[in-house]
Amino acid sequence: MNELNQSPFADVDPATEMSDSLFARGEEMELNFGPQHPSTHGVLRLKLRVDGERITDCYPIIGYLHRGTEKLFELHPFFQNVPHTDRMDYVAAATNNLAYVGAVEKLVGLVIPPRARYIRTILCELQRISSHLLWLATHAIDIGAMTPFFYTFRERELILDLFEQFCGARLTLNCMRPGGLPHDLPVGWTDKCREFIGLFPAACDEYEGLLTHNRIWKKRTVGIGVLPPDVAVDYGITGPMLRGSGIQWDLRKAMPYEAYGEVEFEVPIGQNGDTYDRYLVRMEEMRQANRIIAQCLDKLPEGPILAKRPRVMKAAKDAEVYYGIESPKGEIGFYIVGDGTPNPYRCHVRPPSFVNLQSLPELTKGYLLADLVALIGTTDIVLGEVDR
Amino acid sequence: MDAIQQAVGDPLFYGVVSPALKILVLLFLGVLPLITYLVLAERKILGYMQARVGPNRVGPWGILQPIADVMKLLVKGDNIPNQAVKWAFILAPCLVVAPAFIIFAVIPIGPPAGELGPLDWFVTDVNAGILFVIAMATIGVYGLIIGGWSSNNKFSLMGGLRSAAQMISYEVPQGLSLVAPLILYGTMSLVGMVQAQAAMSWQVRLITLVPMVISFFIYLVAGVAESNRNPFDLPEAESELVAGFHTEYSGMRFALFFLGEYANMIVISAVATTVFLGGWLPPVAALGFIPGPIWFALKVFVFLFAYIWFRGTFPRYRFDQLMDLGWKWLIPLALGNLALTAVIKLWLLYR
Amino acid sequence: MSAMKRFLDKFMLLDLFAGLGITAKNMFKKKVTIQYPEERWEPAHRFRGMFRLDEDRCIKCTICAKDCPIDIIYIDWHQEVNPETNKKEKVLTRFDIDVQRCMFCGLCEEGCPTEPKSIWLTTKTYELASYDRWSNLYVDMDGLQEWKVRPAYTDEEIA
Repeated sequence: MNELNQSPFADVDPATEMSDSLFARGEEMELNFGPQHPSTHGVLRLKLRVDGERITDCYPIIGYLHRGTEKLFELHPFFQNVPHTDRMDYVAAATNNLAYVGAVEKLVGLVIPPRARYIRTILCELQRISSHLLWLATHAIDIGAMTPFFYTFRERELILDLFEQFCGARLTLNCMRPGGLPHDLPVGWTDKCREFIGLFPAACDEYEGLLTHNRIWKKRTVGIGVLPPDVAVDYGITGPMLRGSGIQWDLRKAMPYEAYGEVEFEVPIGQNGDTYDRYLVRMEEMRQANRIIAQCLDKLPEGPILAKRPRVMKAAKDAEVYYGIESPKGEIGFYIVGDGTPNPYRCHVRPPSFVNLQSLPELTKGYLLADLVALIGTTDIVLGEVDR
Repeated sequence: MDAIQQAVGDPLFYGVVSPALKILVLLFLGVLPLITYLVLAERKILGYMQARVGPNRVGPWGILQPIADVMKLLVKGDNIPNQAVKWAFILAPCLVVAPAFIIFAVIPIGPPAGELGPLDWFVTDVNAGILFVIAMATIGVYGLIIGGWSSNNKFSLMGGLRSAAQMISYEVPQGLSLVAPLILYGTMSLVGMVQAQAAMSWQVRLITLVPMVISFFIYLVAGVAESNRNPFDLPEAESELVAGFHTEYSGMRFALFFLGEYANMIVISAVATTVFLGGWLPPVAALGFIPGPIWFALKVFVFLFAYIWFRGTFPRYRFDQLMDLGWKWLIPLALGNLALTAVIKLWLLYR
Repeated sequence: MSAMKRFLDKFMLLDLFAGLGITAKNMFKKKVTIQYPEERWEPAHRFRGMFRLDEDRCIKCTICAKDCPIDIIYIDWHQEVNPETNKKEKVLTRFDIDVQRCMFCGLCEEGCPTEPKSIWLTTKTYELASYDRWSNLYVDMDGLQEWKVRPAYTDEEIA
């Protein structure tokens, strides 16, 4: 009988791979860092074995937010599935959209006009900034600093306003279609965007001034949750978690997509693989995203925003494609199999948070309970993506 | 007042009636409203620091908000867990609140009788005032331990123990940091300390600046840790697993714990003003026309603002790092400071 | 020199004071709070709010129902002879939308072929709360056409 068949509320779990030696002797306590908790960023359940304050083992149990998204994909034609992708990683909807429409375009064989590519890049980078701002807010408030939360949300409001002016929604954007974009930029959008990127570096400096050199922050994050690079590669971790451990791998540089091949930016990497390095990597990524948006706005070409596409988009039978992009949390990929009808036959998502979450037991062994919240924050998981 | 004095007789007047009146006025008309409005002030100031306004719906600028909070807490259900130890459960909030209020009995808000009115501006002047303050502060720890233990809840026991350990380990630097000014002023009574500060010449102030600043800093840090405030508020942080010793308390009992924490804040600020900043003395003699109690209040408000400022800015320390800081950094610093103070005092006495 | 700086930094707590300075500076900046409901924030022009139907413009092509990712639009039409032009034309019997499940994605509006659209979401309405569950959650044809543009918080009509 494996874990899947057991009720999630079973008390002692012989099927979990948790060490039993100290537990049997009664020295360890089993705690449920339950699905409802202010700092698990969603409904994540962690079964912990603690020895006093030290965590000796940690077993994540997920599935509390499973909504059958991958099945829902199979029921409707390709272009109708874009709203479903918004709701997986609900914090960074534009990159989800892009991964899906990119996969469909690769499957059907569409060529995107340059203006659409640049606008999509701008949207993705804005989304990257917005997602990292939310990550910083929640991470800081878990560690105890309350004010970065409010400051980052103040800037995030500006980004959400930009999104709203473009596509009508703030969080579940539905802002891309297979072939390009549903509508063009409204008048004055580029000016507002430039206004935002003009004031953003100062805002970044403000957050850094509050946290980066603060000795309490450093004490809480330096040396906590060290992820060795080979372990990270073994688990298949991508995104800032991987780059924090020193591995130079970013899909935007390694396999450029959209307009990333035509803009200049740097990819920050960390040295020690601890929480502080991942924090620095994400802060620098926000600044680089700002730089990318500025360049894209300068280079924005004129032209159509939607490719010529067939009225009914069908994929050939048994045609399959995998398309991955760099979302703020890591590599998000869509694996779509067509079957000759307008609906996909199978659409599987490779969510970055799901893969990054695997490293959590490895990261938390030996640290204190108070570090657990910092570590959950640094893995930057969104349960909508983990469970789909 | 004179009529009462003549009717009751001098010893009874000065011994019983006058202190009783002062306690009534000071505590119930002064400190209690101050505590409830301190809650509002914290929410507003934190809000302003965080790019938002705090409560502003209940009355202009939210002035009636504490009254609304108190009314809400009064009507909330009073649950005592089934298996809890009842007498301890009921006793614990009192043990937290009472010592904080008792300390107000020795803190001088203004000068003694004669300088500013016929009565002393303090309830009583104990000869060993500082000792009394430190002793009463220690009793407050009992309330936490008993509260955490009596709740019959694993997590609140853990939280209560952590909180108590934190408070006990910061009592030592707090006490040691108060010994240095004690040596320099030569008196333990709080009124005497303020008078000694008034009497120091500027040369003496300059020479004793370094040890006084160091002990001020140590007292401030230890004070923040004593009242379980950010950055030392791990035992009561909501984002940690253990919800703290006051998990099982609701309604007015919880309000008493809350009140006790803020009263503690005010007490520590008041002691700091008296010992380090000069109590009721104006900073410059020319401003002496403003009465002493107002200066005292202003100085206490500066400290309270600093408390709220710290809460808004800093992340919190992990528990072992907190204990580390207390035992490995503050105590040696305090002891070194003590030695330095002793040397300076000897030089001042025998030069 | 840098060792001196590091010593000063560590013992003079400069980093902590920098943080305190930032929060103090923010105390005096303009606050971003909007006092709802006295001040309302106006959504953008393309904001996807509550949808509205115009029965006269609708050509009953049912593209909106087919495009809906969650199939919550229910359309029934039948042929009728229009007494004025004596021609057969489509007439809507039922156009219901299940608002409980609508995710306001706007695909129905995108699919609508008429110019201007017969179903549109750009009504800038997001205040959809009500005291009665069934009055607002499953909206039938008349409801879709006739709801007030912005539900009034006070008694006055806000167009």
